[in-house]
Amino acid sequence: MRIQLDRPRCEGHGLCEEAAPRLMHLDDDGELVIDVPDAEGADLDAAKAAVRVCPVAALRLAAA
Amino acid sequence: MTAPTESGIDIWADDVLVDPYPTYASLREQAAVVHLPKNELYVLTRYDVIRDALGDPETFSSTSIGFNPMVNEALQGTSLASDPPIHTQLRATLSQNLTPRALRGLKVVIDEKADQLVAELAASGSFEAIDSLARAFPIEIVADLIGFSGHVKDNMLRWGQAAMQVIGPLNQRTQESFPIAGELYGWCSSVTADDLTPGSIGRGIFDAETRGDIPQGSAGHIIHQYLGAGVDTTIASIGNIIALFGHHPGQFGLVRENPELVPAAFAEVLRYWAPVHIWGRRATRDVEIDGATIPAGAQVGILFGAGNRDPRHYENPDTFDVMRNPVDHLSFGYGPHGCAGQGLAKLEAHAIIEALARRVKTLTISDEVREPSNITRSLELLQVTKVVAA
Ligand code: HEM
Repeated sequence: MRIQLDRPRCEGHGLCEEAAPRLMHLDDDGELVIDVPDAEGADLDAAKAAVRVCPVAALRLAAA
Repeated sequence: MTAPTESGIDIWADDVLVDPYPTYASLREQAAVVHLPKNELYVLTRYDVIRDALGDPETFSSTSIGFNPMVNEALQGTSLASDPPIHTQLRATLSQNLTPRALRGLKVVIDEKADQLVAELAASGSFEAIDSLARAFPIEIVADLIGFSGHVKDNMLRWGQAAMQVIGPLNQRTQESFPIAGELYGWCSSVTADDLTPGSIGRGIFDAETRGDIPQGSAGHIIHQYLGAGVDTTIASIGNIIALFGHHPGQFGLVRENPELVPAAFAEVLRYWAPVHIWGRRATRDVEIDGATIPAGAQVGILFGAGNRDPRHYENPDTFDVMRNPVDHLSFGYGPHGCAGQGLAKLEAHAIIEALARRVKTLTISDEVREPSNITRSLELLQVTKVVAA
């Protein structure tokens, strides 16, 4: 599955980074960077958790 | 079409507002959506249904976040009361100065102020926690942030309380609060850059307006929303921190021993006692939920606190557990309107909890007083009868 970020909606709350540190991080400017856009296996669970905790619903998972 | 089940309760009855959790439990067990004819309202009671509704602004419109037509009319044109696509633009302007990255520079000052205040209170032996901490701290932080002082600061508590109160139905509390909420609105519409401290975020919002970066006339609106949405709620949550640590000394002990639990502890405080009791939406079409239909045009009420205690989502939901880390609690809402100020609320509350963990060994509370209030559920008085400094 592919992680999709709605960039304008993201405000950098950072909960996704805590849920999926291997897949994404906030850079020095507080902008979200998706490091691993295609999540499979164990990564997929982490990606789902990240999508779930985003407080402003800026992340989605779509078929790769 | 099957109509949702009904309940005869009045969700704004004094006893429900003071202690809503038994009512939430019975409504939640009754159904995910319950019709309250007394309030001309359909309430959402379960976690999944609430989250889905908050994530679906096309079906659940924010044009009726308030429970009387006057307040909805007054809020027209604000982010809070708009739907996408207009909301998307308004939100971008509104949240620009509230994102965690925009607030980064404030952390040191907020931490220092919290530490100093808590250290003084801890040394005093006993104190009343609502005025001296829960109210004093957020008002000082928001005054610094917007850059005001003097009579405005003195009025902030009344204005912030009234701004939330008038979102309720047209009961006596709402009617008495309209003139006071009007004072806040009046100040926000007449304030100019020169009234605000140079270098403050409030001043920056006006400068952005002057430069044309944000639409003409929007600066006053933005400041109005920061003050209307951000004061009373934060005060409630800080009072709740002290009360819940007082009720659960073992849980406070865990936080003292493991300061890395601070964010989880705050999330649990918010989950356990939601600062916002109820918030509105309007159904834009017939919506079927678990086989029952909310009719198009109906007023909907979202019970954040009921969802936060849903056993379908949280194990032992009525237990206060700082290890739980319920990052997906509903107290900040969710989705496009999810609280724009949550970064600031967390900065403030985390600073207070860290300071308590560092400065306080034990605290004993009594005399917890709550006054019924339409939207915000907060403590009016909380006596810390004995505090032992660490
Ligand atoms: C613990 C403290 C707080 C709580 C519990 C809280 C709760 C909420 C909730 C439930 C919403 C969603 C409303 C909806 O879905 O229609 C919201 C939105 C909002 N909050 Fe907060 N809030 C808090 C602190 C703050 C602070 C400190 C500020 C600003 C300085 C703030 C500014 C806002 C704004 C501007 C919105 C509207 C966002 C939009 O419509 O897009 N809040 N808040």
